[in-house]
Amino acid sequence: MPKFYNWQIKREVPYPYEHRRPKRQFAVVMDLNKCIACQTCTVACKTTWTPGRGQEYQLWNNVETKPNGFYPLGWDVKLMELLGEDQRWEGERYVGKTVLDGTDKETVIGWMPDDLDWTNPNIGEDEVNKPVEVGTVLESLPHPIWMFYLPRICNHCTYPACVAACPRQAIYKRQEDGIVLIDPERCEGYQECVKACPYKKSMFNYVARISQKCIGCFPRVEQGLQPQCVITCIGKIRLMGFINPPEKARRDNPIDFLVHIKKVALPLYPQTGLEPNVYYIPPINVPLDFLRQMFGPGADHAVRTYMAMREGKEPELQALLHLFGSTDRIVHSFVVGANEVIGLDEKGEEIVRVPLYEPFQVRPHKDERLGVVRQDIP
Amino acid sequence: MRLLLLVLFLAGFGFGEVLISKRIEGEIPLDPFSEVWKKAKAITVPLAGQTVTKPMVIEAPVKEITVRSLNNGKEIAFLLVWRDQTEDRFHLINQFSDAVAVQIPYRPSTDYPITMGGKGKRVLILHWTAFRQENIENGYSDVAKIHPDYAYDWYPHAKPPYRYPEDWANQYALAYIGGEKVFRKNTFRTPVREVVAEGFGSSTWKDVQTAEGKGVYRDGKWYVVIKRRFVVENSSNPEWGPGKATYITFAVWDGSSGHRGARKVLSYQWIKLKIER
Repeated sequence: MPKFYNWQIKREVPYPYEHRRPKRQFAVVMDLNKCIACQTCTVACKTTWTPGRGQEYQLWNNVETKPNGFYPLGWDVKLMELLGEDQRWEGERYVGKTVLDGTDKETVIGWMPDDLDWTNPNIGEDEVNKPVEVGTVLESLPHPIWMFYLPRICNHCTYPACVAACPRQAIYKRQEDGIVLIDPERCEGYQECVKACPYKKSMFNYVARISQKCIGCFPRVEQGLQPQCVITCIGKIRLMGFINPPEKARRDNPIDFLVHIKKVALPLYPQTGLEPNVYYIPPINVPLDFLRQMFGPGADHAVRTYMAMREGKEPELQALLHLFGSTDRIVHSFVVGANEVIGLDEKGEEIVRVPLYEPFQVRPHKDERLGVVRQDIP
Repeated sequence: MRLLLLVLFLAGFGFGEVLISKRIEGEIPLDPFSEVWKKAKAITVPLAGQTVTKPMVIEAPVKEITVRSLNNGKEIAFLLVWRDQTEDRFHLINQFSDAVAVQIPYRPSTDYPITMGGKGKRVLILHWTAFRQENIENGYSDVAKIHPDYAYDWYPHAKPPYRYPEDWANQYALAYIGGEKVFRKNTFRTPVREVVAEGFGSSTWKDVQTAEGKGVYRDGKWYVVIKRRFVVENSSNPEWGPGKATYITFAVWDGSSGHRGARKVLSYQWIKLKIER
């Protein structure tokens, strides 16, 4: 089987098809420090794409609480079991098993969720990692008692397990934007993709008898617009754009800047070997051993960088985060000014200009001219 | 072992026994228990797990299939009987349907790869599935049938009471469930689909679907009849007909063993099919 280089784990992975990186690769960065699990993204996705028959429990976008929430039930615990205890990293290079290593009977190492595994999308919501004792005070980072919210969509992987596993070649990765789609007319509902996807983002519709998945809002992306889940996020935690491989990283590309330059946004379970393309800024309240398991060895650096930003030591990064949720258009490059960050489209034309600090005035409590005392009214 | 099997298909190894399609007059019944079937001689064909391409099946839960064939000059029919401990009539989340298929090369030759033909070597596959039989006999396996107590309030673009397929036949509602072609596949009033293939992974529904069939589960066995006209107009047909001979193979899917698609058991040799004039 041919092998291809996966930059996230700094080694080659086996893949059954000849592979070219797409011309552009869809990518989303999500800042987990800001997610409040309001599920606005989930609802936006649901009402746009999955209100149909047989889609009742399909959440192409979901938000789960970690460490005790899962959709479907136990998906990442099962993944950790499948990859075994031998998930070793040598520095930044992963030397353990990936799901693409397969077995002698199957192309991809996977597991099949049951019907009921999908029916508790909000299980474990707001639960912390262990019981809270009376008198516990959270006064330092990371927290001894912790949880965080993990919003998830399809990762539109560079080496998709669903594509590798489908025996009918009904799934394809688009050259123009790297979005991974299931062809409903080729799909016969074998659910090999459901079994293979380690992130469990391919779902079977038993009424239509086809598998369905997040389509990256491709009709929007084709028009230069960011997906529904990104633009509706009220916490402004998301930014969609196009990522380059590290050797072609551009400093003015917001996704490249976050992932390759600052290395503050990390892939989810990079040890799958699929090169997933949703990147997470890890939550700083969570102990690093958990973050390393979930986001790889880059977690330490990402948390340190984010902490430094909070102290004002990363002005460019801080400025870029202001672009999150500030426009519905896809930002191809950005410029940081004295007190503003400017998002530009593909042609380099300005889309949006966001002030880093809102102007504010301090008015004296007593207005001497009018001889009145001001109430707290602007 | 795998190498040996591979050599066997490449050699287009022939099976000793011959399946004779008995000529009868009049309509061929779809009922597998019709007396007419006693006129045809049965042959029993061994089956083994699909181990040519991934995903594979090593253990074969179904070891053999008994086959009879009749023809009336215009149509050919097969009665397929195999032992299966479990009756699997649904295709749901992680739940798969029993099924059986016959495969016929477009030209009567054993140099077709047994693995669903090959480039330029097209095969016709007639594929009966238990879930389609179930949909026809007991109504479509919709949400209300699978989960009778399921509560839902509203679906956009579909009309209440939201029965699929009836209430979903408009272009807006169809978009959520895979479009018109998917809808058409789900609403054929026959449990047998006709597909053509040129190698595994390439099977494709024919535009014209005319095959008929019926499957009955009784006493731990499936009894399935598959019937098709030799020549279907406005469609492609294998070179077969009364007085001619061609070849045939069989595949069985056991739903409760997780069989679907490539996960199946099959007969690894072309069997001569002599069609009586």
